[in-house]
Amino acid sequence: MKSQVAPPSLSVIVPVGARRAADIGALYREYRSNVAATGATYEFIFVLDGPRPEARRALEMLLREGEEFTIVNLTRNFGEAAALTAGFERASGGTIVTLPAYPQIEPADIRKLLAGLSTADMTIGYRWPRHGNALDRARRSAFHGLVNWVTGARLRDLGCGARAMRRQVLEEIDLYGDQHRFLPILAMRLGFRVSEMPMRQSAQDRHARIYRPREYVHHLLDLFSIFFLMRFTKKPLRFFGMLGAATFGVGAVLIAYLGMDRVLFSEPLADRPALLLAALLLVLGLQIFALGLLGELIIFTHARGLKDYRVEEIIQYPDAVAASDSGSDSVPAEPAGSAEMRATAPPAVTA
Amino acid sequence: MSGAKSTTAEPKIDAAQRIASARGPALSVIVPLYNEQESVQPLYEAIVRAVEPLGRPFEMVFVDDGSKDDTVALAAALARRDSRLRIVKFRRNYGQTAAMAAGIEHARGEVLVTMDGDLQNDPADIALLLEQIEAGFDLVVGWRHNRQDKLITRKIPSRIANWLIGRVTGVPIRDNGCSLKAFRANLIKRIPLYSEMHRFIPAMASIAGPRLAQIKVRHHARRWGQSKYGLSRIYKVLLDLMVIKTIASFASRPLRWFALLSLPLFALAFFAFGQTVVDLLVGGEDHISLPIAGSGVIFLGSALILLCSGALAELIYARGDVRDREFLKLTQTILSTRRNPEADRAL
Repeated sequence: MKSQVAPPSLSVIVPVGARRAADIGALYREYRSNVAATGATYEFIFVLDGPRPEARRALEMLLREGEEFTIVNLTRNFGEAAALTAGFERASGGTIVTLPAYPQIEPADIRKLLAGLSTADMTIGYRWPRHGNALDRARRSAFHGLVNWVTGARLRDLGCGARAMRRQVLEEIDLYGDQHRFLPILAMRLGFRVSEMPMRQSAQDRHARIYRPREYVHHLLDLFSIFFLMRFTKKPLRFFGMLGAATFGVGAVLIAYLGMDRVLFSEPLADRPALLLAALLLVLGLQIFALGLLGELIIFTHARGLKDYRVEEIIQYPDAVAASDSGSDSVPAEPAGSAEMRATAPPAVTA
Repeated sequence: MSGAKSTTAEPKIDAAQRIASARGPALSVIVPLYNEQESVQPLYEAIVRAVEPLGRPFEMVFVDDGSKDDTVALAAALARRDSRLRIVKFRRNYGQTAAMAAGIEHARGEVLVTMDGDLQNDPADIALLLEQIEAGFDLVVGWRHNRQDKLITRKIPSRIANWLIGRVTGVPIRDNGCSLKAFRANLIKRIPLYSEMHRFIPAMASIAGPRLAQIKVRHHARRWGQSKYGLSRIYKVLLDLMVIKTIASFASRPLRWFALLSLPLFALAFFAFGQTVVDLLVGGEDHISLPIAGSGVIFLGSALILLCSGALAELIYARGDVRDREFLKLTQTILSTRRNPEADRAL
């Protein structure tokens, strides 16, 4: 380990996935010159998500030319969230910046992104002015409208890969699957302040996109899992119980109706196919409810490891005088120098 | 040890305080605060006035639940003058259960007292709670007599809820909504508190089988600000109750709980199949009712899936980190003629 250099203040993580610039070297140079222009010390970490031979060759070439950065090469495609985590593991800066591996935003605006951190714990870029046809716009606003409605956030561009955050944010977020898109939402949930910063869209990003139906489905499923985790992590029975009770209720009403018919009009139950439906609904409701109980059991047996809350700071002045002890107020209440104020998040599990 | 004497030189006070904090005070008073800027100062004074005469080291833990007003600044000003006050500041609003849980986690006393931040509870009652703890109870719950709240929106729903909670959980608490409670720290620190369980702390604590006492406490009308909880949604309470009941009575044997759920389904399946067999014997295959036979299949299948869920539940419990054997240690008493040196040392 080279320990003669102090850790840089910025760590820039670039996850290189299936979608990447044709000339990653040129992209790196642009990023680097703009990050350097901010005057902060920095390091670059490229995470190759799976075997990316050309990208790797290009980066190794740069290394040979004397550039300094780290390459983390993953053996298979783990997804962007995992790649970010892998990069973060190597990062030593107090501020973490993630940048897309393809031209998405004008690199000159990285400065603005970093400036946003003065009033927030995390800043994410949104491409503005945004190019695209009416269909693109409609699709985007539908997705973000849904996200904002479900999560209570107010975000405009979750697809933007340019983000800057304090180190603590990534330390606390347990990122997995495809959640990188929802990073700002997860951060908000932990009580961090998140702001958005307009960044000019790169000229090469201004093309119409064609998504396959599969991607829509994936986005919706991701959204659902975020919704569930945000609202019901600690109370799964609220969610399953509601669904289960509704299903059970419909079944019960149907049974009651059939039963009335049987009693009042002697319509024999045996001839009513609706009986099958009613039985199915009753049973389904019960099953969903039982799933909720399973969820509760999972939470209960792990309740000590989970923590509902995040402490911003603990305020106590150990050297302050215990006030009003005996009449003599001889010691003035101003040992301000010895004030202990620590801004901590205590360990998640206490024995 | 009563509080440090401040007539001596400053460093000595320091040392005394350090020792006190290393050993932990005898009593921690935990107060969740949410937008209570008017109450902070009077609350602090009332607690000090009530607890100081008891003559034992104590601390106050104020948990700020993401207040939007000056609550934290005012409390910090108090803390600057009094080392016994510690403020746990949340990053945002997380709700009362989280605030209670945080207070309990950060408190260092042997006995923990929780109370509301709006001065509707009277700190003067803390002495009464302590008396009960010293008499050997693990958990003392106050109940507000002469409750100073609106009848229709607060008192009647709460009476119904208390009756229901008592019936379902088997822990007949007169007043679950009263925050003024005292616990032995080692007990309550081991009880998982999450979601919106603050209403049910005694019921939740019942998994450890605590010796429980209830005493009358005073209740004052709210002087400032808004009441923060009105009529909460009933279905939430009902579902939470369900959870607590299930966990308290079945957590360590979940398969039984699921088997119980599947029992009526087995019975229904039995009747449906019985009917089908009778039909078959009487009139042959043409006489069978498809809806009834089909329902039988559905019921039987579902009952089996429920049993499988029960098996899954066993797996979850077995892989989890909650065990009855640690709860029973919190409250057990041992009578033995055999000397057990290790146990003696532990005591």
